[in-house]
Amino acid sequence: MSWEKVELLRAASYLGAGISIGFGAIGAGIGEGIAAGEANHALSYRPRFSSEILTTMLVGQAIAESASIFALVIAMLLLFGSVESKPLVTVWAYIGAGLSMGISAIGSGIGTGMPVAGACKGIVRQPSAQSQITSLMLVGSGVAQSTSVYGFLIALLLLFKPLPDVTTFASAGALLGAGFAMGFGGIGPGIGEGIAAGYAVEGLARNPELTTVMTRTMLVGQAVAESTGIYSLVVSLLLILNV
Amino acid sequence: MDITGADFIRGMALLGAGLAMGLGAIGPGVGEGFAAGKACEAIGRKPEEAGLLTRTMLVGQAVSESTGIYSLVVALLLMFVVK
Repeated sequence: MSWEKVELLRAASYLGAGISIGFGAIGAGIGEGIAAGEANHALSYRPRFSSEILTTMLVGQAIAESASIFALVIAMLLLFGSVESKPLVTVWAYIGAGLSMGISAIGSGIGTGMPVAGACKGIVRQPSAQSQITSLMLVGSGVAQSTSVYGFLIALLLLFKPLPDVTTFASAGALLGAGFAMGFGGIGPGIGEGIAAGYAVEGLARNPELTTVMTRTMLVGQAVAESTGIYSLVVSLLLILNV
Repeated sequence: MDITGADFIRGMALLGAGLAMGLGAIGPGVGEGFAAGKACEAIGRKPEEAGLLTRTMLVGQAVSESTGIYSLVVALLLMFVVK
């Protein structure tokens, strides 16, 4: 079997696109489902808050969706980007970009659904605190999105960084490894930050005067949970920049 | 492409570094988030114990972080130390 360089590159970019949006769709699907499930559960207690619950659910789901929209963007770039002038080692960069974006979006998608679920539950319990609950939900779910943004950055770097013409097995391993590091590394912080934000929103609904202390505790906890995501980002950057 | 033995080892080490840090980051992330979540829930119930709860949360998260640090160390060893 012998292939032209351009054929190999095209094949790898299609494989990368599939990996990106395939994995990337998992998290948002689960997270939005968690949010919708809890919204329905909440409505069964107090149906007259249907418009507030619906708005909160849709805003939160839109944030959860953004992780898979990043994955869609990377998939489109891989599908329609030009491969003509790229060196052969870009094959591994394409697959790495798909892994980085797709897998890291799993965590953010699932994580973002949890504060939304907490907010729906909380608004039914304490309708007067709706504005505090919604703003804490937005902060918490925004933080949970951070690792998918890292995944997106690493994927863009893998797609557009100029690579050497000489293909070595070491550079192939580094590019693929960067994708694995950021991809898998994004799962844990995304889910963990979402769990933290979910409980924080529920706690705030129980005791709405605690806005400051609850926001502070949530952010401190999320910052610690973020640390492994930052390690993954650093390891990925080191792997890519040494190619 | 021709693969020499040294090149193969280096490639596998770098791929291993990526897998080590990536997979190793899943557990601490989820675990620390769970700890932070339960701390927030507990502060909602007993706001006057916020200081104690935050301290306990951070101690627990530090222990949970350890496996993430092991992964980071192994990834750095694979990248920069082993030949």
